[in-house]
Amino acid sequence: MNNLNRFGLPVFILVMAVLPYTLNERWQAVAITFLVFSVVALSQDIVLGKSGMFNMGQALFFGMGAYTTAILNNHFGWPIVATIPLAILIPAIFGILLAGPIVHLRGDYLLVVTIGFNIVFVQVLQNNLGGVTGGPNGIFGLDSLKILGANLTSQIAVYYFAFVVLLLTLWVMSNLEKSKPGRALHYLREDQLAAESIGINTRVYKIFAFGLGAGIAGLAGTVFATQYAAVSPEAFDFIQSVLFFSIVLVGGSSIPGVMLGVFVMFVVPEIFREFATWRYFVFGFAMILAMILRPRGIVPATFGKIPKFLIKGGSHGA
Amino acid sequence: MAHNELILTNVTKRFGGLTAVDDLSMKVQEGQIYGIIGPNGAGKTTVFNCITGIYKSEEGSVNWRGEEIRGLTPYQIVDRGIVRTFQTIRLFSQMSVAENIMSGRHIKSCQHWWHGIVPTPGKKRDELDNWKKVEQQLNFFNLSEFAAMPAGSLPYGIQRRVEMARAMAVDPTLLILDEPAAGLNDKETMELLETIFKIRDQGITVLLIEHDMDMVMEVTDYLTVINFGKQIAEGTPEEIQKNPAVIEAYLGSEDDDE
Repeated sequence: MNNLNRFGLPVFILVMAVLPYTLNERWQAVAITFLVFSVVALSQDIVLGKSGMFNMGQALFFGMGAYTTAILNNHFGWPIVATIPLAILIPAIFGILLAGPIVHLRGDYLLVVTIGFNIVFVQVLQNNLGGVTGGPNGIFGLDSLKILGANLTSQIAVYYFAFVVLLLTLWVMSNLEKSKPGRALHYLREDQLAAESIGINTRVYKIFAFGLGAGIAGLAGTVFATQYAAVSPEAFDFIQSVLFFSIVLVGGSSIPGVMLGVFVMFVVPEIFREFATWRYFVFGFAMILAMILRPRGIVPATFGKIPKFLIKGGSHGA
Repeated sequence: MAHNELILTNVTKRFGGLTAVDDLSMKVQEGQIYGIIGPNGAGKTTVFNCITGIYKSEEGSVNWRGEEIRGLTPYQIVDRGIVRTFQTIRLFSQMSVAENIMSGRHIKSCQHWWHGIVPTPGKKRDELDNWKKVEQQLNFFNLSEFAAMPAGSLPYGIQRRVEMARAMAVDPTLLILDEPAAGLNDKETMELLETIFKIRDQGITVLLIEHDMDMVMEVTDYLTVINFGKQIAEGTPEEIQKNPAVIEAYLGSEDDDE
């Protein structure tokens, strides 16, 4: 496990850095979506895995980021890069506003409410709110990425955009893990009453988790919109939220776990595309097997990230 | 600032038709080890829940250092220096002992929410300072060898110590212990007594519920006896031992219990 942490991540980053040059067009597109979904799944992990809140509406925030970029680019002519701050902020603010009244709900109740939010969101998009969301067809014809005047139209450029976003997300996750707010999320997941009784304002930290998760998902939305130069409502459907939810469940609440989860749940079905709809048969069984054999995920969450000077003997066996 | 005194005046807590705590008044003075005893179901833990904000009493007042704390939330009460442990141990069982104790440093840490996203040099220093405090508690409670182990995997007696260490990491003014000796063997109970005295010597007021009569008589300075939510006696351990009402309600029935 230690070796995986020490060598796994640098090797993974290295492989991902050269990957697009070994792939053809179609697989490059799959790789970009893999990166984007990884970012969304990591944001879902903050809410579901770390804080234990059953959020089945992460596609809402993902979609909100994508639509923010699309609307600002298409209707107001903002360059893609300039839309990034708002594509993070708007979903984050919505995350906070939506979470505010519902975070006291327990498990399944919260799940149902977040499904409701997701459905409302898709309906709003399809009904062309304010004439800017483009209705059921969505918005297409977005500009390509422009950085410092260079027009980056190739898929490889989008790939590296997605890659940078993923690295940024991993950096945020590692900061979270080593901070007071990050630990507070773990505490409230493990035992909310004990957390309150030791001085943690659980409500604030639950809303924080929603806001942060929404902001990261929104950023992933920008990349997604850039990749397809288009957005449409069905990409942010409730079913998409189910996918992110099950990625975290199957993978486990850890960075390698979430990555493996995305691989199993998204890339593997792509590999077996020639089997047409039969591929979901395999995928369904993979989910069932994973849950029976590894109920806490393929790579479960590990705790015990404590400074070395405290470890005087014994080992952590979580 | 007023003295570090906890004064309960006419506190009443009802659950539907049941009056769990009935018109209870008591005064815990600074530096005391104060005990609450009473038969099972007498409402002792409910009193603690009313003090620590888990329940809000319908009537009466809970006054701490001259401030009314009835109706505050649990974390606001922790912020005012009152920390508790639970009768049924409530640790973060999948997390390591050190992380459990670190939770007590939560309100003392000066990190803000954005430190969860972007690190600053101040954050790093704050983390280190707080881990050092955790180390102190690990040493004080003799838990160093278990620092990295998941709390849920440890024996009961050690879990009790972890829970006290977590509460002490807050640097409380008033420490509330709910049956700290429950499930401990004689040797562990003796160690617990020593620990409680050491905590008191640090100037921390201790309020505890206990069933083990020998221990209560040995450790406490002052006692309140409650039965059916009502106070039936208060006084020093010597006075309580002679009180006929207490003997009838509590000590007399002890043989029947066992």
